[in-house]
Amino acid sequence: MRWRFLARRLLMLIVSLLVASFVIFGALYLAPGNPITALSGGRALPPASLRVLEARYHLNQPFFAQYWYWLENALHGNLGISITLQENVSSVIAARMWTTGGLVLFASLIILVFGIGSGVIAALRPGLADTSVLVSTSISAALPSFVAAIVLITVFSVKLGWFPALGNGTGFWSSVRHFTLPAIALAISSVAIVARVTRAAVREEADREHVQTAISRGIPMRQIVRRHILRNAAIPITTVSGITIASLIAVAAVVETAFSLNGLGAYLVQAAESKDLAVVQGISLVLVTAFVVINAVVDVLYAVLDPRVALGSRAQ
Amino acid sequence: MGQRQRRSAAAATLAACALLAAACGRSAGGSNSSSDLVSPTRGLVITTPAGTKPVSSVTWAVYRPVNSLDPIFAFDYPENTAISLMCESLLLQAPDGSVGPGLATVATPNPTTMVFTLRPGVKFWDGDAVTPADVVYSLDRQMLPSYGGFYGQVFNRVKSIAATGANQVTITLKQPDYWLEGELSSMPGIIIQKSFAEKQGKNYGTPAGGIMCTGPYMFKSWTAGGGVTAAADPHYWNAAVKPKVGQIVIKGVPSAASFTSGMLTGAIQGSYYFGLSNLKQLENSSTVHVFQGPGQATDAFIVSATTGPLANVKVRQAISLALGRQAIVDQVYDGAAMMPRWLANPGTFGYGKSVFTAAYDKSPVLTQNLAEARKLIKEAGVAGQTITIGTSSELASISAETGAYQQAAEAIGLKVVLKSVSAADYINFFTSVEARKGIDGFITVNYGDYADPAALLATLAIPGGDQNYDNFSNPEMTSLLNQAEGTANPDQRAALVAKAEELAAKLLPWIPSVQPTNVLMLSKGLTGATASFSYMFAPWADNLGGT
Repeated sequence: MRWRFLARRLLMLIVSLLVASFVIFGALYLAPGNPITALSGGRALPPASLRVLEARYHLNQPFFAQYWYWLENALHGNLGISITLQENVSSVIAARMWTTGGLVLFASLIILVFGIGSGVIAALRPGLADTSVLVSTSISAALPSFVAAIVLITVFSVKLGWFPALGNGTGFWSSVRHFTLPAIALAISSVAIVARVTRAAVREEADREHVQTAISRGIPMRQIVRRHILRNAAIPITTVSGITIASLIAVAAVVETAFSLNGLGAYLVQAAESKDLAVVQGISLVLVTAFVVINAVVDVLYAVLDPRVALGSRAQ
Repeated sequence: MGQRQRRSAAAATLAACALLAAACGRSAGGSNSSSDLVSPTRGLVITTPAGTKPVSSVTWAVYRPVNSLDPIFAFDYPENTAISLMCESLLLQAPDGSVGPGLATVATPNPTTMVFTLRPGVKFWDGDAVTPADVVYSLDRQMLPSYGGFYGQVFNRVKSIAATGANQVTITLKQPDYWLEGELSSMPGIIIQKSFAEKQGKNYGTPAGGIMCTGPYMFKSWTAGGGVTAAADPHYWNAAVKPKVGQIVIKGVPSAASFTSGMLTGAIQGSYYFGLSNLKQLENSSTVHVFQGPGQATDAFIVSATTGPLANVKVRQAISLALGRQAIVDQVYDGAAMMPRWLANPGTFGYGKSVFTAAYDKSPVLTQNLAEARKLIKEAGVAGQTITIGTSSELASISAETGAYQQAAEAIGLKVVLKSVSAADYINFFTSVEARKGIDGFITVNYGDYADPAALLATLAIPGGDQNYDNFSNPEMTSLLNQAEGTANPDQRAALVAKAEELAAKLLPWIPSVQPTNVLMLSKGLTGATASFSYMFAPWADNLGGT
């Protein structure tokens, strides 16, 4: 069972990667402009130099030959060379992966703690707590991360000077300080969504017959919440958290740019603009992999949370 | 021949804006004292007072991360800023644009021979002396197409480059070329170590390979996350220069909003950030000093039409007369630009200064005159005809400036169609005939490799010039520029180029919009950086230090 699940997921990952790589390669190939022009800033190169550079990056070959060349190398673990940076794509990715990884991880933590936390409080404590969560989530759900970034920088870096306005920082605590505002900017609208879904799910479970019965039988509330409400509400909460966290990977580009963090997302945008094919391919594959892995983790969680759910089948 | 360097700095400003469009709205700030800045250098500083105290570390922002440290691939602000910090060229462009001895002195025994003598004691960071072999190798790398470098055309008139003595290199020319000295004081003249570069091969100038140069700041590290780090070289060959900053980190900051907050909070201590819409906010800050120095870039409307209304010189003149340039100065540059008289930015007067300045001061400022413009349109008989302008609505400055041209053309009875492309595709107007099809013109910010008005003019006003998109051809212009390239005496050369510029201001192969000044921003407490555009081509941090 487990092995079949793993094998199926692995196959899915490989197919996703193959399809994604082909589609991205094709789209970039068809898009106007060429990487050499981007490299030379529009300068008209002498024809001889142009030929040398085109041959160096196999740009003079037909589409399928180029794709095959890339794929063959990728299968051997060589993701190619960035045309603009003249650096191995794998080292470009390795150097930037921790920025994006750390940012997404930090933001996920914020989403889980504050999103689920405030959702549960709102559901179980009607009145002021509920209303204030509702109001604040309404506002933050409508706040795109780039707007949040500008507001956070203006208030907390420029005016108050509590957090640095840009950069990655060196060492753990300095990095935490540097990543706090970006992580909040990245998380803020997702916190609201997770809080809303959590609130609805917990409310629904709390109104269930078995919960009412348990209350009438005098079972302590704390136990009811833990055993009967949260456990059952966990599946929708896991689903929405999984989806929002997976989507953070894509949104990270915007936040990385706003805070001048050298992450994968920001570099992906830059590479796509300069048509740096190998880099776009490499980073995309990392993102696709992360997305598929997060979804697989969510599926495993379903089975753990609810024994009725078979591993690999979708929860209801 | 006549094909010279060209830049579409357009792509630069833009990319900065392209990512975070919201941060790039232009504040319609009050007008600066910009009308005072009409004279070539009044109100502008070429450098800032030398720093006196040591500073441990400075973070210097560029609009995107550095791509390459190889001078043969240096074409844009980030690469030039990093390379000119660490590397030195054969000749040196001073902050005022004049060309003098760099790693070598030059003699011209006859018009087709240039003899370079290496200055005594010049050595690389590893202590090895610079040899003629290094010089020949560095120039060959620039010149030979097999390296794929961007500057090959600069050496069009070169017949041979050879070591001719223990400290001597001779360049033999096919015909006289007095523009080559300017080029050799810029990226094409940067000298790198032969043995190091040969060992690194294609890795030279990449994060994996590093570089070996001669400048006061030596390459220390280049991490993808932290930018390019250069450290003061305690054994720098030139005893007259004592670098005072422990290390300088060149960091890419693609978002203008992020840059501004970085400057305001002190996370960034200096920059030559270009085309900033919220410059006033930094000028008013108590933690930042903003300086304006002579620029060498020209903001202009490229005429690419070979037929239609714009092919008629009267129509070009009419649009130029109808253009509201002051609004561009105020809104697009937030005051950091001057009204033009010529196509050339007066910051390019690197030689024959008195000749250039006298001629420039005599030329009229290109101010607005709608009545005169309408008269010209009537004479041309083109009222009601349509011109098509290529633009990109994603690029705030380009789009605002296109709007100014649209307004000008419509005010004098022309119809305007805008063809907007994505920010990334804007560059195609410069490079692809296909993309220019049906387009009568588009906006650019353009500069040459060294301080000479001819450096830009020759690319667009001589048949075959690589930016001559409208096949502009005028025998007098061609002859003036060709004569200038072969004229040894700087004042005589300046007189010829000045005549060509006066002609260009009338015939308008391109329409000059405004002349951006060079903006330098420094944290308070930091001083000594070059304030002129020369920072793009020559060491700019020799005197950088604390106050």
